[in-house]
Amino acid sequence: MGRYEKVLNMLMDYDESIRLAIISNTSGDILWNSKRSTTNLQVPIAETKKALKRESEDWIDRCKAADRIALGAPLYHITSFEKTKRVTLPLDAFHLLFLSVDNTPMKNTKKKSYGKMVEMGKILSIVDFVNTFE
Amino acid sequence: MDKYEKLLDMIMDFDETVRFAAVTDENGSILWNSQRTGLKNIVPVSETKQTILRALDAWKENSGFKKYLGSGLYTVASYEKIKRITVPLDNGKMLFCSISNEPLKSAISKKKSYGHLADMGKILSIVDFIKSQK
Repeated sequence: MGRYEKVLNMLMDYDESIRLAIISNTSGDILWNSKRSTTNLQVPIAETKKALKRESEDWIDRCKAADRIALGAPLYHITSFEKTKRVTLPLDAFHLLFLSVDNTPMKNTKKKSYGKMVEMGKILSIVDFVNTFE
Repeated sequence: MDKYEKLLDMIMDFDETVRFAAVTDENGSILWNSQRTGLKNIVPVSETKQTILRALDAWKENSGFKKYLGSGLYTVASYEKIKRITVPLDNGKMLFCSISNEPLKSAISKKKSYGHLADMGKILSIVDFIKSQK
């Protein structure tokens, strides 16, 4: 099993709220993906492909910005919608990780909820761990 | 005081790690902004304006996903040193915040830190409160 498939497996195992995980190239083409078997796709795949292309272009801009300005390395980007969070992060110079995460508020939430937290520290540590394998 | 000036004041008062906050119109012009005294800009204003334009473009594209994912709530772009947050407001306006992402001192000696959490629930509740004002 390659390290990219391993990262998808580890992420899907770690958090049940991850519905879809994709690894794309810098042009936004899907190279590997994993969809939770118990969920239906909320967004047609054609729309997701468009979003991936957009995200890839944005990441190229973010990395260029980080080269120009002392922001430090770019870590991740989250777009939060009422029902879903979209998370993207660069795996290496040529690959982007895209996650679609359920954002439905937990049932026992009393006051107004804006969805669930995505534990980015854990996701980044999984990516760092897998990146140690050649 | 305009309600968006009040929004900026509340955001700056709520969290000392907020370095800069601005409200823009739909064309990316900065209508109001607030910078924490004593802090130097990490990012030149011209770069911030480019980031704002890109974020507005992304929110326009994201509006196409509303029927699948619900309304857009916020974005977070995380770098090692800062987090950049955008929140769509009324009439095409947008809140933009730059937040320090330096690891908390207590985290430094233990394990690798990817920065600290932006309390998006609190920020969104401040935005909702301001939106409810006339």
